[in-house]
Amino acid sequence: MNRYFRELSVAAALVLVLASLAVLAPGFYQAQPLLSLATREAPALVVACGMAVVIICRQIDISVGSQFAVVTVCAGLLAAERWPAPLVALAAVGLGAGLGAINGALVAGLRLPSIVVTLATMVTWREALRWQRQGAFVNLPDSLQWLGLPQAAGQWVLIALALVVLVTLALGLRQLAAGRFVYAVGSDAEAARLAGIRPARVTFSSFVLLGALTGLAAMMNVVQSPQVDPKSGTGLELKTIAAVVVGGVAISGGRGSLWGVFAGLLLLACIAPALTHLRIEPYWEKAIQGAIILLAVVADGVRSRKGRS
Amino acid sequence: MKKWSLLLTAVALFVAGCGKSPESPASGSGAGPAGKKITVALLPKSKGNAYFISCKAGAEKAARALGIDLLFDGPTESDPAKQNEIVENWITLGVDVIAAACENREGISTALRKAQSRGIKVITYDADALPDARTFFVNQATPEGIGHGLMDEAARLLNAEGEFAIILATLTAANQQEWRKHIEARLAEKYPKMKLVAVRPCDDLKDKAQSEATALLSAHPNLKLLMNICSPAVPGAAEAVKQAGKAGQVKVIGLGLPSENRRYVKEGVTDSVILWKTEDLGYLTVEAAVALVKGTLKPGDKTFKAGALGEFEIKGDNILLGKPFVFNKDNIDQFNF
Amino acid sequence: MSAPSGKAFVLRHETVLLFVVVAEWCCFNALGPRFGTLDNSFDILRHTVEIGLLALAMTPVILTGGIDLSVGSLLGLCAILFGKLWRDAGLPPEVAAGCTLIFGALAGGLNAALITALRLPPLIVTLGTYSLFRGLAEAITRGADTFTNFPPSFLFLGQERWLGLPTQAWLFLVVAAGIWVLVHRMTYGRTYRAIGFAPEGARFAGVPVQGRIAGVYVLAGLVAALAAIIYTARLGQAKADAGTGYELFAITAVVLGGTSIFGGIGSVHGTLLGVAAIAILNNGLVHARQPREVAGMLTGALLLLALSSSVLPKLFAAWRRPPPAPVRSTPSPPT
Repeated sequence: MNRYFRELSVAAALVLVLASLAVLAPGFYQAQPLLSLATREAPALVVACGMAVVIICRQIDISVGSQFAVVTVCAGLLAAERWPAPLVALAAVGLGAGLGAINGALVAGLRLPSIVVTLATMVTWREALRWQRQGAFVNLPDSLQWLGLPQAAGQWVLIALALVVLVTLALGLRQLAAGRFVYAVGSDAEAARLAGIRPARVTFSSFVLLGALTGLAAMMNVVQSPQVDPKSGTGLELKTIAAVVVGGVAISGGRGSLWGVFAGLLLLACIAPALTHLRIEPYWEKAIQGAIILLAVVADGVRSRKGRS
Repeated sequence: MKKWSLLLTAVALFVAGCGKSPESPASGSGAGPAGKKITVALLPKSKGNAYFISCKAGAEKAARALGIDLLFDGPTESDPAKQNEIVENWITLGVDVIAAACENREGISTALRKAQSRGIKVITYDADALPDARTFFVNQATPEGIGHGLMDEAARLLNAEGEFAIILATLTAANQQEWRKHIEARLAEKYPKMKLVAVRPCDDLKDKAQSEATALLSAHPNLKLLMNICSPAVPGAAEAVKQAGKAGQVKVIGLGLPSENRRYVKEGVTDSVILWKTEDLGYLTVEAAVALVKGTLKPGDKTFKAGALGEFEIKGDNILLGKPFVFNKDNIDQFNF
Repeated sequence: MSAPSGKAFVLRHETVLLFVVVAEWCCFNALGPRFGTLDNSFDILRHTVEIGLLALAMTPVILTGGIDLSVGSLLGLCAILFGKLWRDAGLPPEVAAGCTLIFGALAGGLNAALITALRLPPLIVTLGTYSLFRGLAEAITRGADTFTNFPPSFLFLGQERWLGLPTQAWLFLVVAAGIWVLVHRMTYGRTYRAIGFAPEGARFAGVPVQGRIAGVYVLAGLVAALAAIIYTARLGQAKADAGTGYELFAITAVVLGGTSIFGGIGSVHGTLLGVAAIAILNNGLVHARQPREVAGMLTGALLLLALSSSVLPKLFAAWRRPPPAPVRSTPSPPT
């Protein structure tokens, strides 16, 4: 019970929101809109999983939104050149991994602070993209949407894909040696090194993993509509970091699980549609989001203080 | 000692850099009163926006025809102070005329007045500043005209009856607020049986507009129409309606570029998109800016002849571009911007 | 600090940065005929004061090993509050400004309380208040309400000159001098670096660590409020989107100025140079007729270059002479 306190408390908050929606706005529970909502949030879940790994490794990446936009546009351009969909997906994941590797090399290789490195790459990718593309939409061939499947099938495929990523990573972090290495490096890099782990390699790999997952997420976003907005992914870094933190992953590394991240993302993803259903004016949205993040960390802080005294 | 010699070197470099001779004046067909090439500085509301890219294309055409220098720059951030900084930079740079699309009417007017006091001509296009901060406004459509046009189009599609919702860019954007005000005024005045049930922002992102539209569709089962007053929201809302299987039941209209909406208009998801000819707006703006510098366009004129585009009417200090177009299934293929 | 030898002085981050700033200046002066004029220098000053103030306030925060993401949002909220107090409550601008400053300190106090009393990571607390402050600004104005038509006596602060310099530059100089003395010349402020370097060690040395940390966040809130007032005076309007994204510019300037994001190392004059480097780059590229995207890209590149410049010589030396002892492992993140 105690070990999963944080995950359970986030899940409880989520249940509370969902239950109050059931009473106040039962219209929230309709099959098609919920399926759409889940599909829209599937890419964010994939990125949040990768972000959790990086944060558990005691690093952070605020460039994911820009990476997402770069991969989205490149994938869109390749698809417009009539590349087959599997090849586009492969290129998207590869490009994402490459962008992640740049961050990883600077952080792990040169031992630079990740928050500053990714601040620099965030600005650089975003502005370079704007410079090159000037904000023009990319029109995609019709065959790419939902990968040629019927809409509902395509939506389920994307949701399933996101869940597979979640489950694989959640189990991998707990069961595989490589996963335990991430926790080890995140809690104490020096101790991990003395235990025979190479911290630099683990750190580098976690950035590459996040990049590849961001690439995959961008691809999952591209196949959802027949045209691509080069501004997509704006604010993705804040959304995923907030989900990871609300989900109970310690920003100081070495602690947390992906189940909590899952609950955290669902909670944040529900806010905007919930406000629409509850007929709350939209100018409250940001304040409510901030209050939820603060409440989550304050609850944790109060609890751990009680534990100490 | 070494420390000071280094500093001295730095200072020496600095001074050497300062003592540069000014650029020799270039000559060209677009020579202004001083005999040098006229520089027109065109300020969009933001960069990376397809609407202003289209304006820029027209402006470049005009610049080539007139043989003038065109500067095109604008904020890449959503910070309202950035437009002022760019204008003030241009004042120091010594451009001849500034043509601005204003994000914040009061805020930018401060900088534009300063430009006028330094002898730089100022006109506005797309969105006006305060009247004393510019000579002319190239008016593509008044906020009132846009608001009424959208509301009338919505009423026509719904037979003046039913619920509708608005998706806009951000709550803070000045022009969006202006349009919203006129839409609501028209609604209250003429269409008592229609009801505005929600207004949601999409942060100028297509993806977010799609999510918002999806939520609106399920939260308001009686919704009959989505009105989108920023350009990324029109395709975003259309995709949401299409995915919800409500194409035809829920109408989609808005302000947007034909190129981004062609697919949905042809499929019958989006009913009509309203916009003026953005390229002509850019062209006319540059023509008017240059004419103002050369003195061929003066306050009080009743018409203005803009090169290849022909004559435009001037009403007060507004140069009128003409009526906005309504793009629909029948005519959208004739436009490629 | 003892007088540095010649070589140490040249290799100091601040010196390198000074050369970068001078090189930027010379380069843009060669490219743009009007760049070097006094008018343009004043433009640069005026456009930089708000971000410069935030960067100055951010320096002690980062020196203690913390971070404050909420300053940009707080600027927006304070601008709104100032407008409300002046227009709706009918207070004269001076009184409204005073109240706004008090409010800014209180808002900084909220950050401080959560960070020190509950021992929460600053990154997360200020991520929360980043949304909260901006959200409140939007909620109060419903996004749309704009405050404008301020009296000329108030606009004088942001748009005119006083004793030869833009008025707000004097305020900036006072704050810069104050924070410099606090951090570099007062025992009180010198403990910031001790805290950032080793909080436990500082505690054992008798420093009231939590109290000092609380102080820097209150100071950041206060300075953000001052920046909000200057911003309002410069633009002549206050709206809920004021200062969007300023926190990132401020952090960039501080880090570019040689302050370690993990705390413990850094200087206020380094921050000033970092602010100057970014401001000159942004302004100069307009004079060189380059689009604004290039300014963003170059800022990112400059940041990476500045960071690696301190690391590369060490790595190079390590490669030439493989050390017997292992190098320090991955540094801890900002918490």
